[in-house]
Amino acid sequence: MENYEYILETEHVSKYFGELEVLKDINLKVKKGEVICIIGPSGAGKSTYLRSLNQLEKITSGKIFIKGDLFLHREKGKTVERIDKAKQKQLLLEMGMCFQRFNLFPHKTVLDNVMLAPITVKKEQPKVIREEALELLRQVGLEEKANEYPNRLSGGQQQRVAIARALAMKPEIMLFDEPTSALDPELVGDVLQVMKGLAQSGMTMLCVTHEMGFAKEVADRVIFMADGIIAEEGVPDKIFNNPENERTKSFLKSILNA
Amino acid sequence: MKILKKVVNVKGWQKATKRNIVILVLVIIAAAVLSVMKPEKEAMLSCTSEEVQNMIAQDENSSRKRVTITYNSLVVINYCSVSSSGAREISERFIGFFGKTYPANEGAAKVIGQMVNYTYRMLGCGENVMHGAKLTILLTALTILIGVVLGIFLALGKISKKKLLSKLCSGYIFFFRGTPLLIQLFVIYFSVPSMLGFAWRDLFSAGDNQAVYKGAFVAALIAFALNSGAYCAEIVRAAIQSIDKGQYEASKALGMSYGQTMSKVIIPQSIRRMIPPVCNEFIMVLKDASLVFAISLMDITTISKNIMTSEGSYLVFIPALIIYLVITACFTYVFDKIEKKFSVYE
Repeated sequence: MENYEYILETEHVSKYFGELEVLKDINLKVKKGEVICIIGPSGAGKSTYLRSLNQLEKITSGKIFIKGDLFLHREKGKTVERIDKAKQKQLLLEMGMCFQRFNLFPHKTVLDNVMLAPITVKKEQPKVIREEALELLRQVGLEEKANEYPNRLSGGQQQRVAIARALAMKPEIMLFDEPTSALDPELVGDVLQVMKGLAQSGMTMLCVTHEMGFAKEVADRVIFMADGIIAEEGVPDKIFNNPENERTKSFLKSILNA
Repeated sequence: MKILKKVVNVKGWQKATKRNIVILVLVIIAAAVLSVMKPEKEAMLSCTSEEVQNMIAQDENSSRKRVTITYNSLVVINYCSVSSSGAREISERFIGFFGKTYPANEGAAKVIGQMVNYTYRMLGCGENVMHGAKLTILLTALTILIGVVLGIFLALGKISKKKLLSKLCSGYIFFFRGTPLLIQLFVIYFSVPSMLGFAWRDLFSAGDNQAVYKGAFVAALIAFALNSGAYCAEIVRAAIQSIDKGQYEASKALGMSYGQTMSKVIIPQSIRRMIPPVCNEFIMVLKDASLVFAISLMDITTISKNIMTSEGSYLVFIPALIIYLVITACFTYVFDKIEKKFSVYE
């Protein structure tokens, strides 16, 4: 058994953009296999929070633990506890990420996109990783597109390749940063289907999303963020049907009436 | 390998490419026919006057030659001149074309003959690689090759977060773009050896009678490559900075280091964007290469200038221009094709 209680834990995470405080003392504990959807109005700091988890944004202060190990500890914009580089990288690789705009590598084929990181970062044998990559592409339903370049794919297909690419590093946590926001409405379904399958397979997921239907159906916990704080959290049923916070109420009202 | 496959895949070619290839093949066939048809040296010499033929026959048995024979074979056309100096000055010129030899001692035929002769010399035909167009192209190609590699490192240095490295690279670029290439060439060729106490020809063995030229070539190459590196650095920097930020984020999220991100993701994508400006830079360097006349390398410009002074022919610069134009046209076409091949994913 693994010797940790929470696979991901953040303590007092805050973040400034200049004078502007975009994250205010965020505490979150995520159990293994939990699916968490983060919702909230734009500018609430949802994406910033997600991106600071894997260091795409540098937090100003706070602690981040991955699988019980300290991953990052910063205070007032400076790293206070130095963590062994190799250890930190290993922890970083426990997190896979999908972006709103996919960010596939346009100069590589779909298959090469999936294979690049395992080959360069983990130094795995191309022959071995090739089979795994094809299997992942099969999972997301794009095996026959393996030798196409990303620009020949629809947005939904590109996002599914991006999911396969992140999964190729065998992460234990998947971060989704508005994965369906840049997609045409009819393409959203396929991506959500893949994410649903992933959730059912026991993957720990943090999902910034505007797909309330998906959050209701799949999430174990929904977090409502506003103005850089977690305004309210709870099971989907409670958040969507019995919100307590005024901001949550007005947000849901504006979304559901749109 | 992929590029090779694409080139071989005839079905995938565009209509215009096919047409151009057909035209090119026809031109080559026509040129081949004409080059086979044109009269050889002996045939042309047999058209000379009886007096000259006697002199040539006498020359064969004596060690002291009285007649100078120039024979230039330029693809489809031949030029032959026979001259002797001394008591009896003779000068007979001929052009050979399509199986016939025509006298070229006056009028339009004389001009054509001269042009053939000048072009032949400016292209560096019948000489080693240190002559004429061959030297120009070799110098340019090597300059760009070194310049792009140097430019990539300079650009990476300039955008680096390490302050000192960044300042150094910026300073280098500022210096080489801010001073004239000709003076840089002089500094490398004259000043540096005099300061350090060596000569460029010493790089090659003393017995090599081309050592002076080879030494000058090395000096020119160094000066041009250093200069071109600065220009290429700006090209590379612009290309790297035009790559979407998301590419860095995706690479970082996948655990790739800065070096891996650069070498596997960013630079391969930048190269596609670098091709048009590097093509431009290539053509700039090709033209700037004419500056080597200042250090007596025998490039197109130097040869045309020498012809002008030694033979008093002011028309020589026109074929020189045309040769430069043809070379740039060829390279522009090739670069165009490369650019299209690389654009599959954009």
